[in-house]
Amino acid sequence: MSIGKFLVRRILQGVFVIWGVVTILFGLRAVSPGDPATLMLGEGATQELVEHVREEEGLNEPIYAQYVDYLQGLVVGDFGYSWQSNRDVEAMVIERVPATVELAVAATIVAVLIAVPLGVISATRRNQPTDYGATLFSLLGISTPNFWLGLMLILVFGVWFGIPHPTLETSPASLAGISVPYPRSVGYSFFDFPTGRRAVGFSEAFVAVVRDRSFSELGVWLQYIALPAITLGTYFTALITRLTRSGMIDELGKPYVTATRAKGLPAVLIRYKHVLRNTMIPIVTVLGLQMGTLMGGAVITETVFNWPGLGLRLIDALHMRDWPLMQGIIVFIAVAFVVINIVVDGLYTYLNPQVSDE
Amino acid sequence: MSEDIIRIRDLSTRFFTAEGQVNAVSDLELTIERGEVFGIVGESGSGKSVTALSVMDLVESPGEITGGSIEYRNPAFADAIRDTHPDAVDGELVDLLAIPRETRQSLRGTSFSMVFQDPESSFNPTLTVGEQLAEAVEVQRRASANPRSTRARTNRSRYSLGSYVLSTVLPSQRYVTDESRNRAVELLELVGIPDPVERADEYPYEYSGGMLQRAMIAQALAGEPDVLIADEPTTALDVTIQAQILDLLSDLQEETGMTILLITHNLGVVAWMCDRVGVMYAGEIVERGQLEDVFDRPTHPYTKGLLGSVPDLEGAGGRLQPIPGNVPSLLDREMPDRCYFADRCPKAMDECLEHPPEFDVEGSDEHAAKCYLAEVEYTESRALPADYFELKDASETDERPVAADDEEPHRTGSGTGQETETTPAGDGSTSGSGGDSE
Repeated sequence: MSIGKFLVRRILQGVFVIWGVVTILFGLRAVSPGDPATLMLGEGATQELVEHVREEEGLNEPIYAQYVDYLQGLVVGDFGYSWQSNRDVEAMVIERVPATVELAVAATIVAVLIAVPLGVISATRRNQPTDYGATLFSLLGISTPNFWLGLMLILVFGVWFGIPHPTLETSPASLAGISVPYPRSVGYSFFDFPTGRRAVGFSEAFVAVVRDRSFSELGVWLQYIALPAITLGTYFTALITRLTRSGMIDELGKPYVTATRAKGLPAVLIRYKHVLRNTMIPIVTVLGLQMGTLMGGAVITETVFNWPGLGLRLIDALHMRDWPLMQGIIVFIAVAFVVINIVVDGLYTYLNPQVSDE
Repeated sequence: MSEDIIRIRDLSTRFFTAEGQVNAVSDLELTIERGEVFGIVGESGSGKSVTALSVMDLVESPGEITGGSIEYRNPAFADAIRDTHPDAVDGELVDLLAIPRETRQSLRGTSFSMVFQDPESSFNPTLTVGEQLAEAVEVQRRASANPRSTRARTNRSRYSLGSYVLSTVLPSQRYVTDESRNRAVELLELVGIPDPVERADEYPYEYSGGMLQRAMIAQALAGEPDVLIADEPTTALDVTIQAQILDLLSDLQEETGMTILLITHNLGVVAWMCDRVGVMYAGEIVERGQLEDVFDRPTHPYTKGLLGSVPDLEGAGGRLQPIPGNVPSLLDREMPDRCYFADRCPKAMDECLEHPPEFDVEGSDEHAAKCYLAEVEYTESRALPADYFELKDASETDERPVAADDEEPHRTGSGTGQETETTPAGDGSTSGSGGDSE
């Protein structure tokens, strides 16, 4: 099958998936209690005003008409208005994407950098202390809940070691009664970076390094992201370690490895060019799927660390029963998931030539 | 008669498994001469492949070579080794088991190479055939690039992880050079693969089994080895393809003059290809000699049994005569101190309760067999009763609740009573061994 045909098929499948997500969300919204107009206007609004808003927003139309209307909006990229802040949902989603992507990518990088070498070492020194250590680590990593790990990291690094972490000032950790002893003067609060921008995103830090040869922004960014990335990446690290270990052991037992050794090829090449590469084929799939999960699944981590990403905004929207915003965020996550999956399939084809022929 | 290139003495290779020590190869004696095709023939589980892997140093944990020597004649190699390991060198012969592993493994590809049984699983499925052949060429190219090649080879572990990481970034640092790739195409052409240029860029799954076996032979030739070990090279192939592959091997052997150690369970293949033959049973060579010695004047009843189980087209009629029983267990504690074949032997006698040494047999100088029949005439009066081993088995079965429900007729008891609980009941691989308790 050609790559074009493959892409077209996958994209059509993806569109169908997204339509399903959209429809289910719309259905949930339709059956959930509460009058949107009242939610928008607040408790004290007059009956006439509520009626006016209902009429204006098309809330008096039959439900199928509202559905068609909503779909039409989505097709042209109009997700509607947030009931709470009255802003465009698209803008509210887009502005939070970089923080979430940064976190997801950082967590993945942490995971891959730790997990793959650990898995390789574990597999090549099977049943030795190193292997037991790695296995224990991955067991712990898989069974530790995210929110607990996040709080513990804050406790240990933030409170005990006093490593400043500006995002914590209003985080649930401080709300939970763990005192977070940062003097305000420590540095920047996430939302008012001295330059007047939203926060130190990676892009700002990168620009600062390239243009101004200044690494301080990068340092601040790393300070921001380190603990959330570790928190989000731990489960993932443990998972990839296990997959790498078992995949590598499996692969090392295959006859071609013996045949490759018989050729006299250096051990490094056998281990990495042959065995690890083949081990990575299934792992890339998991990696991709997990990236999608990280995009949406960072909700807990973002909440614990007050990380200004999509997950935190989703929680806010949920609390406020801000349906259009909620729908917008979830649809966005669904789209991201589908796109990542298509990319992963493409990569898979590259790694395993046999797939492209089937 | 030319000089010997490999001399194996008392080679023992054992596997240390949860069930106990498995003597896959015990006290094996073997001499292979330069330029000949030596065949090792035997049933599956007789230790043929482990012998080959031992020569290649490819025995993997839990397996281990526990004793003996494998001497290899190579003057240049002997000179290179002499300074550092004088004990290992004897004239032009180097004892491979007495030199460091790394040095020994440097002989892979360039001195010894191997053709495996199943070509489809012996190639990495995700690299092109050309790339994999080019790797083998590169091993040889790098080994001979340095005039003090042997020393350079022993330092091959210098190819570190750093070198590999660098090569993934810089194409110029890749292990495999274009030169080697071109040579790989030539090799494909040499073994008769049409359109070698295009085929080199294809993946193993795009090849047929026979084509892939040709490619594997090409890969084994890449290092211009002294000895090619072919481990059941035709077993996984169609009969028609088998003939082609054997022809190819013969032709290449004639052209290059290399030595071939051919391992097979197929007597037809042996008859076609080999100059000399060794018959393996239970980890040792029970009969060896020139092809005619073994085929026309077999002495060991096992050899006779093997020959008797081959259909004869000319003398058609009559049923095939299979050898009764199973391959014996190679578990150390189940191996009796007698002729390992006695329990399946139609001519077992009192003498056979002692392990036979190797006797010279009539025929060429090399014809020898580990069987008392070479010395003693078979007489009914000295024969063991037909149910000798079964009775022994029965007397032991009483003590063995695990094996009580095992109805396999040739199952015999294992060595000692107290250990038998760990023996998996009904497992064919452990049955048929002798029941000689100590």
